[in-house]
Amino acid sequence: MPGKLFRVDVVAPEAIVYSGDAQFISARTTEGDIGILADHEATMAALATGPVEIHDAEDNVTTIGIHGGFLQIYANMVTLLTDRAEMTAGGREEALRLAEELKAAQQRAVEQAGAEVIL
Amino acid sequence: MASAEVRQIRRRIKSVQSTMKITRAMELIATSRIAKARVRVAQSQPYTDKMNEVIRNLGAGSAGLSHPLLERREVITSGVVVVSSDRGLAGGYNSNVIRMAEHRIQDLRNAGKQIRLYTVGEKAKAYFAYRNFEIEQAWLGVTDTPGYGDARRIGNVVLEEYQSEAVDSVEVFTTRYISALTQRPVLWPILPIEPPEATAEDTAVGYTFEPSPEAILARLLPRYLEGTVFGILLEASASEHAARRRAMKAATENAEELVRLLTREANQARQAEITTEISEIVGGAEALAGG
Repeated sequence: MPGKLFRVDVVAPEAIVYSGDAQFISARTTEGDIGILADHEATMAALATGPVEIHDAEDNVTTIGIHGGFLQIYANMVTLLTDRAEMTAGGREEALRLAEELKAAQQRAVEQAGAEVIL
Repeated sequence: MASAEVRQIRRRIKSVQSTMKITRAMELIATSRIAKARVRVAQSQPYTDKMNEVIRNLGAGSAGLSHPLLERREVITSGVVVVSSDRGLAGGYNSNVIRMAEHRIQDLRNAGKQIRLYTVGEKAKAYFAYRNFEIEQAWLGVTDTPGYGDARRIGNVVLEEYQSEAVDSVEVFTTRYISALTQRPVLWPILPIEPPEATAEDTAVGYTFEPSPEAILARLLPRYLEGTVFGILLEASASEHAARRRAMKAATENAEELVRLLTREANQARQAEITTEISEIVGGAEALAGG
């Protein structure tokens, strides 16, 4: 029997990456990994680079690689705000790899922008 | 045979018709682009809403918001960002927003402020460069289909300038999409950041912050700025396509009218020619019969 469900939205600027009910999610914040079940206390946290795992009502697991963003938990609604997220079917390791890639891509972009300014 | 006059008019009709084909094609393309741009504006909405919600909750949950990016300081140098398009043929789209920005720059200068100018799009760059304005940075190739990366680049630059106190405020001149028929140039202040007002629904819940509220706010505000810039770019893009559609629709209609007038003129010229020929033949025949 599935545990109590809560609502999860993963929102990026150009699209909603994930939206649905879940029994458990885990995410990596700047302070360490966090596991969330239903009726979690109201929390706001900053996300680090790492995988997010979402266990839905049928115990299917969705993993998303995320680089930076925010996590808000309020009244059984969990919102992950991130400007860089990518879904993957490859599990935690794959998600972590993707997250690292996103991080590297952003650093490259920043360096490139810096170079353009100098030019 | 058709005389020189008739031939000339027919040639003009052909040329107008081929122009009309181009303007009609551009109108159709712009129409589909508006729809796409509108979808992208709608898709970015949840992110913007959630971001606003988080900031409001942050304000309500902790003892008010305080951060350098939120504080007004005395304006000595004002940053001005003008958002235009890369291509023309969009009616008054570019000139409206550029004119508004230029007036504002005049006013600021008259008030003794320094200006640092940034431009988005080829048109604004060309306009201000031609008039010997100093452009700190120009971004090109952004406005057709703006991505979040573009917003991040622009956001980072103005943020750095603000933090290093090169500018003390940043105003964006852009075009808001009111409806398919109305787009309005507006002044949109982005720095210092004006946090969204708390609404009655936001109850002060006792949030647990990881890390501290200040640290979260410090990470949140740059993202908020990028999100704002992204919204501005998306709306400017929708406005550009709408303005171009309208301009091209008007051009196509003008071309149709012109073809109608020219066709009538050509028919008249042909008729006059035939009349002349008949009277010449009749005249000739009479001269022969009379002789």
